[in-house]
Amino acid sequence: MSESVNSAKRVLNVLRASKKVLVGTSILVALLLLATLGAVVYKTRFAKDPTIPGTFYPSLYPSPEHPLGTDHYGRDILAMVLVGLGNSLAVGMIGGLFATVIAVVIGFAAGYKGGLVDHVLRSLTDTLLVIPTWPIFATLAAYVTIRSMPLFGLLIAAFSWPGAARAIRSQVLSLRNREFVQLAIITNLRTYEIIFFELLPNLLPYIVVSFSYATMGSIMAETALRFLGLGPPDVPTLGYLVNIYIPMGYLSIMPFTMVFILMLLAAIFIAFNLINIGLDEYFNPRLKKITGM
Amino acid sequence: MVTCYLAITFTFFFMRLIPGNPIQSYVQALLTQGQYTLAEQAKQIVDAYLEMFGLKGDLLTQYVHFMKRLILHFDFGPSLIAFPRSSQELILERLPWTLGLLGTSVIISWLLGTALGALAGWRAGSKLDRSLVVLALAFSQIPFYVLAVFLVLLFGYILGWLPTGGAYNPMLRPSFSPEFIISVVKHAILPSLSLVLSTAFSWLLSMRSLVVTTLGEDYIAFAEAKGLRKATIFYRYVTRNALLPQLTNLGISLGFIVSGSVVVETLFRYPGVGMLFSVALTSLDYNLVMAFIIMSTLTVLTASLILDLIYPFVDPRVSYGE
Repeated sequence: MSESVNSAKRVLNVLRASKKVLVGTSILVALLLLATLGAVVYKTRFAKDPTIPGTFYPSLYPSPEHPLGTDHYGRDILAMVLVGLGNSLAVGMIGGLFATVIAVVIGFAAGYKGGLVDHVLRSLTDTLLVIPTWPIFATLAAYVTIRSMPLFGLLIAAFSWPGAARAIRSQVLSLRNREFVQLAIITNLRTYEIIFFELLPNLLPYIVVSFSYATMGSIMAETALRFLGLGPPDVPTLGYLVNIYIPMGYLSIMPFTMVFILMLLAAIFIAFNLINIGLDEYFNPRLKKITGM
Repeated sequence: MVTCYLAITFTFFFMRLIPGNPIQSYVQALLTQGQYTLAEQAKQIVDAYLEMFGLKGDLLTQYVHFMKRLILHFDFGPSLIAFPRSSQELILERLPWTLGLLGTSVIISWLLGTALGALAGWRAGSKLDRSLVVLALAFSQIPFYVLAVFLVLLFGYILGWLPTGGAYNPMLRPSFSPEFIISVVKHAILPSLSLVLSTAFSWLLSMRSLVVTTLGEDYIAFAEAKGLRKATIFYRYVTRNALLPQLTNLGISLGFIVSGSVVVETLFRYPGVGMLFSVALTSLDYNLVMAFIIMSTLTVLTASLILDLIYPFVDPRVSYGE
């Protein structure tokens, strides 16, 4: 109980200390509400599920009934956009979560074990950071048929963990030589005890930052993939909607609809960027120089 | 060299692991056209195709065959979409468009971002600095493809000033006539603008923080104490030192041009290598996809090699060996 009160207090502290995190989090929460509650409430306006093809007349202009119009499959576009927003965020967070887990495992193995393990894992991480993995990622997404969202997130994560892994490794490395960890090693604590009770709690801030970065990276990779027309069509995301609406000429027939979708996408990236930079500065005060405010 | 070899080997096995044999289906399509009815002949045709595409024998034989062809002749094998032309030929033919569009954009963006970043850092805390930083915070992570659609909508559809796809007016014949050059520039504005807008702010932030860090160094305080003019301090002391990491990152960015071209070129139907890759992906053109992946890796590695080689000239403190 007090544990959770404590962590809630810590979160509040971060929000109070960094205006950037506050603004970013507010935007993100607003988007999440829009994608969950907003979608549910909006759908109750209609007798039938507005995201099923053929429910309405196709390609209707925006009207009070359909604020963003209907698409060429006869679906309400606003309903599609709200669902897409939710999917974009969900895919990103699943991807970010998997990437963070991979990064934590590899970062800890490399940083704590050292020696040959470290050497091999570090070469692997560095190689993946240096060579452009994006074409390989796109190729995989093109050839392998994926239908479920978690698998899609996993695929994205498989290419977005190296940056986080490197950051966590270096933190583990520096923590390992601190007195309290050395003491734990001398007192013969078991390795898993040291990792879970000594190292992990101290690294939590870095892991949170890594998760936030990885989530933004995943959403970026996912959207870019969709702009190429790749990725599972069963999981409609904002990028997918833009990609199928452009060839239908929606840029000229309903520009406002497209602007709305693009604004949502932009809002996602602005929110995550503010959160990332803010958290970075909060946990590494030396970085305050990035923005000076 | 080792990274190079590993990257190529990895790409090869990665491509072979992906299920489906595009050549087989290609040959099937040929056979069903009904021209070749004899089973004997059909087998020969399939064999010939497999041989040509390097798909004969077990995985190891294929690998040796592939490496031999690559190293001895710099040949990635024939492409499927433009058969019988070879993959590297297609890529090299499209490369100038990509280098022209993305190379120019990266450099413009770098110059702009670095100049503004230096200014903002030098006047840290001023109104100019604060407004630039707020803009940068908002824009620095919006991917170029989101901006690109915005710009296409604004300049292409609402205002109707600029073309939204292709590299030049298809009614014109490629030549060095002023008309054609103007057409090429016009077509390049939107893709280039979206790239510049989305990356210049990151350059701004990094240059700004470098300048602020440099300003805190003792030698700057000493230069001020010596009574040097502000401009001298700015150009000879601050900018010179802050530029080095910026230059390194410029080199890295230039290396990523080829792999970064895929989305922007597909979006604008720009006839560069990225667009080629995107087409190759959708038509299961193994050799071409493989050639693109390997070439984009090679560009990055070459860029970092060049960077290492020229670094001693830019930074007199760095030297290799003697």
